[in-house]
Amino acid sequence: MIIHIDMDAFFASIEQAINPRLIGKPLVVGSRGSKMHTVVCAASYAAKRLGIHSGMSSRDAFKICPNLEFVRADQSKYIWTSSQIFKLLENFNLPLNYASIDEFQLDLPDSQNPVSLGKEIKQQIYSNFKITASVGIAKTWLLAKLASKIDKPDGLTLINDDNFKEILSKTALNKLCGMGGKNGQILMDQGLKTCWDLYLKLPGFFDNCGKFRETSGNSDEAIQKPKSMSHSYTLPMAQINPQVIFAWIRVLSEMVSGRLRQDNLVSATVHLWLNGPQIGNFGAQKTYLEATSDGYQIYLRTLKIMEKSRLKSPRIRAIGVTCSSLSQPSYNPLFSEEIRREELIKALDRINGKFGESTIFPAITILTR
Amino acid sequence: MNQNSFSPKARWDRFEPDKAGFNPDALNERINVLAYFEHAKIFPKSFNWHDKEYTIEKITYNWQERVGQALINYFSVICAGQLYQISFDNFTFRWQLDKIIQ
Repeated sequence: MIIHIDMDAFFASIEQAINPRLIGKPLVVGSRGSKMHTVVCAASYAAKRLGIHSGMSSRDAFKICPNLEFVRADQSKYIWTSSQIFKLLENFNLPLNYASIDEFQLDLPDSQNPVSLGKEIKQQIYSNFKITASVGIAKTWLLAKLASKIDKPDGLTLINDDNFKEILSKTALNKLCGMGGKNGQILMDQGLKTCWDLYLKLPGFFDNCGKFRETSGNSDEAIQKPKSMSHSYTLPMAQINPQVIFAWIRVLSEMVSGRLRQDNLVSATVHLWLNGPQIGNFGAQKTYLEATSDGYQIYLRTLKIMEKSRLKSPRIRAIGVTCSSLSQPSYNPLFSEEIRREELIKALDRINGKFGESTIFPAITILTR
Repeated sequence: MNQNSFSPKARWDRFEPDKAGFNPDALNERINVLAYFEHAKIFPKSFNWHDKEYTIEKITYNWQERVGQALINYFSVICAGQLYQISFDNFTFRWQLDKIIQ
C-alpha cells in the first residue's frame, strides 16, 4: 500500500505557526515585492473558502478580501520544514519518496496497518511543527494522491476495493493528477467526466500509472537525474528597459548555471520564456553543439534567442530560463582563455560557497536591485 | 530537498527595504542573548536590545538556513505579546534581531 502525505496549505500553515495571530484568518503568501503587484503563492483555507487560490494576482485577491493578511514568502522556512518532515518520515524505515516540497510517499508492506500508521504520521507532524497534513492510502501512488485530496484539511482517506467505485464515481476527472490541464479537457470533451468513467475506459490506468520511486537514499536507482533545470521570476512591475530585462536574464542564467555546476552537469539546450501584456507568453529554445555550465555563456545564448525573436522593446512582466539536454561534462578546455575562464568560475563558486550565494556577482545584476 | 541547491537568501532575491531608517521588517541589529543549549538545539531565553531586556515567553517556530558556510538558526519568539524574529549565525557567532513581526 502507498501512503501519500500532502501538507495542508503548506506555506500559509507555516506562517500561521510562526505568527499565531494569523490562525483562522484569510492569509496569502506572496513574493517579496509589493503586495499589490505580486502573485499568490499560497492561500490559507480561510482565504480559499473566499475563492482565493494560488496563481491569482494579489490585486484580485485583495479585491475579494480587502482585509486579507499578506506575508512575504521566505523559502528558507519552507525548504527547512520540508526537509525536517522528510527526516521524520525516514525514521519509519520504509521506502520513502520525496514527491514535492509538501508531498511525500511511503511504500508499506502488506503486514502493516496503513490507517494507524497514517494517523501516527499526522500526529507526529503536528506535534513537531504545529501544521496539519492530509493522508491518502491506496494500492498505487496515483490513487493514494487522489485519496489525500478528498478530505482536506487534516484528512485521512483509504481507497480500497470496497469504496473504489464510490470514490471514483464522485471525483471529477480533472481532479486526478495529470488531468487538470489539456489532457483532462480532451478526455472530458470525449464524455469522460469522472475518474470512474476513465477506469471503465482504461481499467489498467490506475494500476500501471506511475511506479513508486524511492528517494530515501539507499537505492542506486533512487536519485533520478534531472532532465532540466530552470528558474523564473515575475517582476513587481512590467519592465520596458532592455538593460533591466537583460540583468534579470543574467540573474536567472547564473542561478541555473550554479545548480548545473553543483550537480556536475552541463547543458546543450537553452530555453527562454518571456511574459508580458503585449506579447503574452513567448518561448523559444536553441540547442548548441557545445554544452556548458557557464552562466555567462547561457546568458549570451538567451540573448541570441531574443535577437532572433525580433521583439521590439516589449514590456516584460515575467522571465524564465531553462537549461536542458543535460549531460556530464566531457570536454576539457584546451585554450588558455577557456582554462582561465574555468578557473575563474571555480574561484567564484568557492567564494559564494563560503560566504553565501551572490556574495560576488556580475555587475549587470545591480540593475535588478 | 537540498537547500544548498538554491539559496533563497541570494542578494538578488533578498527583500530590500524601501526606506532608510527604522524599518521593523528589516532591523538586522546585533543583540545580546541568554540561551541554553540542549540535545544539540538552541533555546533562547531572553535578549537585550537597546539596553532593554526582553524575556522570551514562547518560541513559536524555529528553522535553519545555510548561507555559504554559515548555518543560521532563526527563531520567532513572543515577548510581552509582541512577536520578534531573532537569529544566530554559527559562523560569526552573532545574534541579531531580524525583524518585528506584525
